[in-house]
Amino acid sequence: MTSFASSKTSGPSFGRIFITSAVVIAVVALVLLLALNDPRSPETLLSIFATRFLGILIEALPFLVLGTLVSGLIEAFIRQEDVLRLLPKNRYLATIGGAFMGLIFPVCECGVVPVARRLFTKGLPVSVGVAFLLAAPFMNPIVFASTYIAFGFGPIFIMRFVVTAVVAISVGLLFALNRQPETLLQPSSWQKEVLHTGPRRGLREGLQYTLAIASNEFFEMGRYLYVGCLLAATMQTFVPQEALLAIGNGPVLSVLVMQLLAFILSICSTVDSFFVLAFVNTFTTGSVVSFLSFGPMVDIKSTMMFTGVFRRRTVLYLVLLPFVMNLFAGVLINALGITF
Amino acid sequence: MEIRDYTQQANIGIKQNSWQNWLKSLVLLGTGLYMLVLLLTGNIGHYVNVANPSIQWLSWLVVPLLLSLGGWSLWRTVKPAPTTIPANQSRLTTTALVICTLPLILGLLPSRPLGADAVNGGVNIAPLGLTSASSGDIAPEDRTVLDWLREFGRLGDPTVLNGETVDVIGFVYRELDMADDQFMVARFTMSCCVADAYAIGLPVIYDGAPDLAEGGWVHIQGTLQVGTFRPGDDPLPIILPTLVEPTEEPDTAYLYS
Repeated sequence: MTSFASSKTSGPSFGRIFITSAVVIAVVALVLLLALNDPRSPETLLSIFATRFLGILIEALPFLVLGTLVSGLIEAFIRQEDVLRLLPKNRYLATIGGAFMGLIFPVCECGVVPVARRLFTKGLPVSVGVAFLLAAPFMNPIVFASTYIAFGFGPIFIMRFVVTAVVAISVGLLFALNRQPETLLQPSSWQKEVLHTGPRRGLREGLQYTLAIASNEFFEMGRYLYVGCLLAATMQTFVPQEALLAIGNGPVLSVLVMQLLAFILSICSTVDSFFVLAFVNTFTTGSVVSFLSFGPMVDIKSTMMFTGVFRRRTVLYLVLLPFVMNLFAGVLINALGITF
Repeated sequence: MEIRDYTQQANIGIKQNSWQNWLKSLVLLGTGLYMLVLLLTGNIGHYVNVANPSIQWLSWLVVPLLLSLGGWSLWRTVKPAPTTIPANQSRLTTTALVICTLPLILGLLPSRPLGADAVNGGVNIAPLGLTSASSGDIAPEDRTVLDWLREFGRLGDPTVLNGETVDVIGFVYRELDMADDQFMVARFTMSCCVADAYAIGLPVIYDGAPDLAEGGWVHIQGTLQVGTFRPGDDPLPIILPTLVEPTEEPDTAYLYS
């Protein structure tokens, strides 16, 4: 992981531009290939694509805007002492606490990223932020309520809670072993210098500052969200979820399929319980729990947004570790034969 | 543990290009106005479940928020002040601005809900196990395609519904393995937005089926009879229509769940 420290760049390098354009060209070529082989006309495909893209985006937009405003408010009004005072001194305890920070900042996966990024610049340790990032989209009053309405306070609710907490805290603790944020975060998400603390801003000045920060943050985080929506809409236009579901039987495969579905669909965590209700009869309990615990942590949208905060290798860990842990949890639930 | 204080980062004002500031203000205002237009025309129902109160108030809330962000940016562009955006704010890039114009461009296309063309891989005709639904309380002639599938799920044994009257609307959907007189009357169901939308349907056997246009909206009255629809299917309730008439697309194309 230390090799990353040497490769940090402040501006776009030639290699980075090359890789980005290669990826863009590959994606465009793949989409063209899929479109040419599709029996539906290009106009129809474009119309379906537009509806899917706008749908995912319009649903996420309020959370993005609220997330950027909270981020602006944090930047304007929260100082180092505040973070220091509220944070347990022990970094491992703090990481465990981070998993439950969503109870204070009720955010879903689109809003949590700008908030976490801003807290990193305020000195929040990466491990705490990671636990917050992974857990908060479920660990907040709004999603508790929607899960309760869909499933009641039963095994699904409890297992979703336990699996989310265990995975988020475990991944957070793994990151706590690394004490160099510069090897994990993008340069813009943390500051090298230790800065003196100034007085708290006045309300008027602070709010003006909030607007200035938030209007830039909207684009900074928005571009990742928009590209994520673009990818999710493309996948949904061409890859039928029914095809995915058709292969999904068995205690292991069903979990894999539901996790893949959660990743592709990028359904907001506030409503994913209602969506998955349709699958409770046909899918294993473990796969439903994995869908509900993995989906809020990682999906196409949030992965794209992670790349704006973390270095690429960190993003890889942030996707793979929760994937493997949730897979394990889901298979374990199936193996133990827990039903509801 | 080490805590770094980044709060009062040296207040270096970043000079953003003037045209970037104009574009930024335009995109923010444009996105806010686009949301407002969708809400006022009702077209927002093509994308998200507006029957859900929280989605509705969040969609309304985003309009004034985006307009104030855009208005503030415009004010600062026209009347620049020595802004104190800290240096850790990475520069507003042209790429980000261009990406964020995407919904405004795609929004120019005619707004359409998902229809028969968007069914990609099949329509769900299996009973739905929605625990919170109370489909039994709805009179049979008022039940939608979604209510019927829930009712099948609630009852478990659909044969008790033999002879029940059905009165539903939906779009015509066919698959290759269906006979000439077979089709499905289908709807998209949605709990939040089109990301979670999927097609559900009831099977129909009707002599006049070949005359019905694929994807066209129809109003169907008839009775239920449990039988085998396609080879290999489990026995399921099939509509035997007494009336099939083409109809307009309903105001809300989706069935919200």
